[in-house]
Amino acid sequence: MGNLVATYRPLFDLICIYAVFAFSQYVALRAGLFSLATAGFASIGGYAGAYLLKETALGPVLSGVGAILCGVAAGLFLSLPLARLRGAFQAIATIGFVQIMVSLSLFAAPITGGALGLNAIPKVASSGLLVAIVAVLMLLLAVINRGGIGRAFDAIRQDYTVAASLGISTNKYSRYAFALSGAIGALGGCLLAFDTYSIQPDLFGFPLLVFAIAAVILGGRSSVAGPLVGTVFLMVLPELARPLADERLLLQGALLIVVIIYWPRGIVDGLVRRWHDRDAAQDPQARRDRHGLPAA
Amino acid sequence: MFGQELLNGVVVGAVYALFSLGLTLVFGIHRILNLAHGAVFMWGALIGYFAVTGAGLALLPAFILAILGGALVSVALDLLVFRPLRRRQGDEFGTIIVSIGANLVLMHLAQQATNAQTLRFPFGIFPIHFYHLLGLRVSLQQIVIVAAVALLVIALVLYLFRTNLGTDARAVAIDERTSMLLGINPHAVYFGTFAIAGALAGAAGVILGIAFNSVSYLMGEPIMLQAFVVIVLGGLGSVPGALLAGVMLGVIQTLTTVYISSELSDAVVFGLLFVVLLARPRGFFAGLHTEHRVA
Repeated sequence: MGNLVATYRPLFDLICIYAVFAFSQYVALRAGLFSLATAGFASIGGYAGAYLLKETALGPVLSGVGAILCGVAAGLFLSLPLARLRGAFQAIATIGFVQIMVSLSLFAAPITGGALGLNAIPKVASSGLLVAIVAVLMLLLAVINRGGIGRAFDAIRQDYTVAASLGISTNKYSRYAFALSGAIGALGGCLLAFDTYSIQPDLFGFPLLVFAIAAVILGGRSSVAGPLVGTVFLMVLPELARPLADERLLLQGALLIVVIIYWPRGIVDGLVRRWHDRDAAQDPQARRDRHGLPAA
Repeated sequence: MFGQELLNGVVVGAVYALFSLGLTLVFGIHRILNLAHGAVFMWGALIGYFAVTGAGLALLPAFILAILGGALVSVALDLLVFRPLRRRQGDEFGTIIVSIGANLVLMHLAQQATNAQTLRFPFGIFPIHFYHLLGLRVSLQQIVIVAAVALLVIALVLYLFRTNLGTDARAVAIDERTSMLLGINPHAVYFGTFAIAGALAGAAGVILGIAFNSVSYLMGEPIMLQAFVVIVLGGLGSVPGALLAGVMLGVIQTLTTVYISSELSDAVVFGLLFVVLLARPRGFFAGLHTEHRVA
């Protein structure tokens, strides 16, 4: 049993960290942004956190906070042109952003270590801490979803024009979403650096961008559990079927196509919807009984 | 020296323009941002390479085969990926996501076909010959590239403005529902647009593959980044905009590489994208639109 835990602990840690990336992507989609910038935010957070931890006396907590602040700054910077643009422009600019972060981290070798990356980063993240962070993050996102910001996000996502005509400042909420997505993405990158001893530029490239979007699409874009379920699915499946591990990108590409066409709600939202439909199909009195409501 | 670099930039820019035209055409007519366009480009280059090395064809038939191959891959993409999504009322978000997925699948297939190697055309596939014009060294290759791009662009303009299918395409660009009511077959228009976009990408793939003598399954990614800047700079959906912005970007990039730093040229290009989005998101050639723009 102890052997089993030791074998699968690294995978478990990675699932927690990649779930954080998926949440960063989830926030953007939830707010109706076509942002694919998560991998770029992760790169900023990873390098900032690792650099602060190694080169300064700030300690792990303050280094993490510093990394998150860098992510917020990057999100706000991206939102300058992108908060007032829609659709294709946001996708184009954020994919460009991710690629530029990769080439900048290769170029800025004195800080980032170039292609070799930063190594011998102290391991300050434990499995317990990672679980706690994911739990707190989900709670936070659930609270945001239920509050005024979440309702504004919903309105903007469903109809941009209607939201604007209802007096919702779409620019302001898009900026919030970029900042929040940047903060969470940077947190994920920082955790990756604090957990795995070393980071390199190619960790934060196109494959991470694809992973984050695939996890959210597969899991579901609406409920908070969606990104987590998508991450677990994408990380565990290649472990169960070893030949799939080499074909990871092919698998994710094919899943993106098939899920968007045939099951656009994803796993969690699809199940929630099915449950609601079944609920609605029952006769009114039975439903009232089940929910503990008085008879009509 | 400056004139020489300018010339090199224009030649590279012409190829960027050729590639970006397909991207902007599909977006302008069908509102689809096809992120798998880079993979079509890469497959064009691969088909050209296999036609030369595997089938032993001469360069011109290989080039034509690559154009046809690019068109085929692009049409297959529409039939297998975008059309099922359209039938199920997919939105703009869905089309961007499936095109990312299709890009991965196409790249993976190319990785298998090439064993992840960088391939090189046989030496001397293109005659090396230099002319001296106005004090500049101009290679035969550069002349042929510019001539080929010019021919393809003229063919595109003739298609759009002188054929019935082109007229249909422009009608669909303005309003797809209304043009269907007027008896235009949307499937034919999608077929035409994707075939032409793929053909242009395939041609660009072979040209760049020979010019840099390197073909690999990763070659579509950097050019997509350039094309993003080109189509935003030129105005999303604008044909003359893509043409002018493509040449402009080639010149800017070449001059940056020569006079500033080659590592930073990507960052300069992205900085340009950011500034354009901030200052003029409709692009710098939006003034040309309405009648000239396909959308």
